[in-house]
Amino acid sequence: MYIFVQGILVGMQTRILLDEDQIPQKWYNIIADLPSPMDPPLHPATKKPVTPDDLSPIFPMELIRQEVSDRRYIDIPDEVRDVLRLWRPSPLYRARRLEQHLKTPAKIYFKWEGVSPAGSHKPNTAVAQAYYNMKQGIERLATETGAGQWGSALALATQIFGLECTIYMVRASYEQKPYRKSVMQVWGAECIPSPSTRTNSGKAVLEKDPDTTGSLGIAISEAVEDAKTHDNTNYALGSVLNHVCLHQTVIGLEAREQLAIVDEYPDVVIGCVGGGSNFAGVSFPFAGDKLTGKHPDIDIIGAEPSACPTLTKGLYAYDFGDVAGLTPLMKMFTLGHDFVPPAIHAGGLRYHGDSPIVSRLVHDGVMRAVAYYQNEVFDAAQMFARTEGLIVAPESAHAVKAAIDCALECRKTGEAKTILFNNSGHGDFDMSSYDAYYGGKLIDYEYPADLIRDSLGRLPKIP
Amino acid sequence: MIRVGFLINPIAGMGGTVGLKGTDGVLAEALRRGAVPGAAKRAKTALSLIDGGPVHFFTCSGAMGEDALRETGITSFTVVYRGSEMTSEQDTRVACRAFIENNVELVLFCGGDGTARVIYEEAGDRLPVLGIPAGVKMYSAVFAVTPAAAAGLVNAITRDGWSGRPGSGHTGVLLRDTEVVDVDEDAYRNGELRTRLFGFAKSPGLPGFVQGTKQVWEEREEERAKDDIARFVYEIISATPEILYILGPGTTTSAVMQKFGVEKTLLGFDALKDCRPAGRDLNEKDMLALLERGQKARLVISIIGAQGSVLGRGTQQVSPDVLKRIGVENVIVVATPHKVRETPLIFIDTGDTALDRSFGNYIRIITGYHIAQRKGLGLPSGPERPEMTDP
Repeated sequence: MYIFVQGILVGMQTRILLDEDQIPQKWYNIIADLPSPMDPPLHPATKKPVTPDDLSPIFPMELIRQEVSDRRYIDIPDEVRDVLRLWRPSPLYRARRLEQHLKTPAKIYFKWEGVSPAGSHKPNTAVAQAYYNMKQGIERLATETGAGQWGSALALATQIFGLECTIYMVRASYEQKPYRKSVMQVWGAECIPSPSTRTNSGKAVLEKDPDTTGSLGIAISEAVEDAKTHDNTNYALGSVLNHVCLHQTVIGLEAREQLAIVDEYPDVVIGCVGGGSNFAGVSFPFAGDKLTGKHPDIDIIGAEPSACPTLTKGLYAYDFGDVAGLTPLMKMFTLGHDFVPPAIHAGGLRYHGDSPIVSRLVHDGVMRAVAYYQNEVFDAAQMFARTEGLIVAPESAHAVKAAIDCALECRKTGEAKTILFNNSGHGDFDMSSYDAYYGGKLIDYEYPADLIRDSLGRLPKIP
Repeated sequence: MIRVGFLINPIAGMGGTVGLKGTDGVLAEALRRGAVPGAAKRAKTALSLIDGGPVHFFTCSGAMGEDALRETGITSFTVVYRGSEMTSEQDTRVACRAFIENNVELVLFCGGDGTARVIYEEAGDRLPVLGIPAGVKMYSAVFAVTPAAAAGLVNAITRDGWSGRPGSGHTGVLLRDTEVVDVDEDAYRNGELRTRLFGFAKSPGLPGFVQGTKQVWEEREEERAKDDIARFVYEIISATPEILYILGPGTTTSAVMQKFGVEKTLLGFDALKDCRPAGRDLNEKDMLALLERGQKARLVISIIGAQGSVLGRGTQQVSPDVLKRIGVENVIVVATPHKVRETPLIFIDTGDTALDRSFGNYIRIITGYHIAQRKGLGLPSGPERPEMTDP
């Protein structure tokens, strides 16, 4: 869009903004548009489909209802929308300088979620989860965090709604990003490095491996155990689950409106994938358009780390969501619940599994995935910072890398595709990771799937 | 014009292809096993890449230098020592003294650790020394990483001269202290790595062109990582017993064998088939025999010390012919994270450049249980990975 001042062209629009009253009033539930029902989660002991009663010891009833709902749209409570006003609607940017640098005919748009108080997309669901728990009289939430973004978000949300918060932070990130812990403290939460001696799950891991770097799978076990063993405490998960993906759809719903303002609809939608929630958030409204035949050709790409390539190299099967096997079994792409991913700097992407809905859509070919090494991801992040100014989180940099690759492909083919990616968070707490990049210390980890397949005869070890 | 003393230890490297670790005292056995001299070929590779104009060589007669110079078309040389046909340590000593009398600025030699040690004993740290790698044991840091890298250093000296002290801001080739190390060959043949530091020579160096001294890692973290790797490789071998596994030298591969209850020769190549030993301390011929009739095989090999070689140094039993039969795609490289971290440059130097290149620009190294790392491979002077700054 061109901007005219007193009839004179002064420039092209960079930020596309919505008013506060344009914050979506409903979340979009893609399950309603799937051609067949999802495979149900199974009880870890009985292996039978879980019932609401199975989940009620750790989740509030409204979130359980959302988890299994097949209604296409679910109302966002006014109390939640009031909090979202602190940063939503988030801006949509046109990355013109990056386009020029790449000499691409493609148009690159990105949704910038780094404007939230916690610096990422995570508060979109943290606020909703804290609200429903508060409504049900819960006093404390226990959770895990990888890079610290989810922990920060839940600390903020619980503070707003007057709940206590205990956060088990993956040890690798706890040590890499000490200021994340301080952020959680500012918002009144307690942050513990995981594995810890506070839970039996943590103790078991430490006994086996005292020097472990931890993983999201281990931290989830600890938080779930904490919630199960305390009546006043519920568990909150920052990704993977259906209701989390649901809450994040505000990203894609806003982006679709913002693109419509400049008369665009994306040919490609990209997000980074760990547990899958920000990718779900940006892509589900567009995937819905694809499923319902409105835009059948849209290309939806999840970008994940080569060190933990769940969607590109994992197996689509039932597996636990955590290391200790306390969660329900979910049908998803998985590298095995006992897989401890190497300590990459994109700590938020170190998860052995993935959102069951995202997994299903990848399995059905509605979406696809790519995997990147750490150094090439930071190369992309550096290029983005030097062209667009924003220093992004290592997780988000995976999406940046995929967008750059798409744009470069367009340069080869001459196609003027419209690319939308979700820039899920800022990298202000990730300077030690950038330091490591500049010091030549970033390791390009990969998952030797062929040899693992040989060693197991199957991939991975599924209960 | 710079004055360069040049000598070849013609028998260096001969023990490697026939499964002997070095030639000290066992030359006759190496010849009996069919070893052929390879040092001259490597020396000529280096010589052919040296810009001859500004260099005058002082050398020894016949196979100790003169032949290689003539065969690469170099005419600017003087023979300052005429040695015996069956060369010995004494020939190297006397030749070195002749170089010193002729005021050479650099001794360029082609040999192994034994040759380096003898030259060091004569030249001390008064005279810069640079090795073209050819021996079986090259733990000393005086060696360039490849013959081409040695030539690159000589060219840099003739082009840019010597630098002042490190940090002086002077451009040119730095002289640095380099460890001269030799291994007790008898112990080495019995699977025991006993290195002895003889002293510090002066060698020309640019980053990436000279080997670091090999190191034996002993940290606890290393032991844990080694066990993780061994557990993973053990599971792979156990699940695919029909494949012939050849395990190269090193403590990581030894840990794999231990899991099968088999003692591994620390510095040799041993084989496993159906999870049972199928050969110990194999030489090239043994391996070729095992690989007959299309036997599917995998080679499990480690990075050698801090010098960064995956195949080449100290692993000369795996000749290009052996490697071609196994297939580059069936090479499993293993190394602990520390070892990978401390090895800035990883390269493959089988003597067959096309084969080396078939490994590609990157190599996958198994560094833990179900974990691997990708590392830039190869070119001592090349970038590890493409920059992404200017699309």
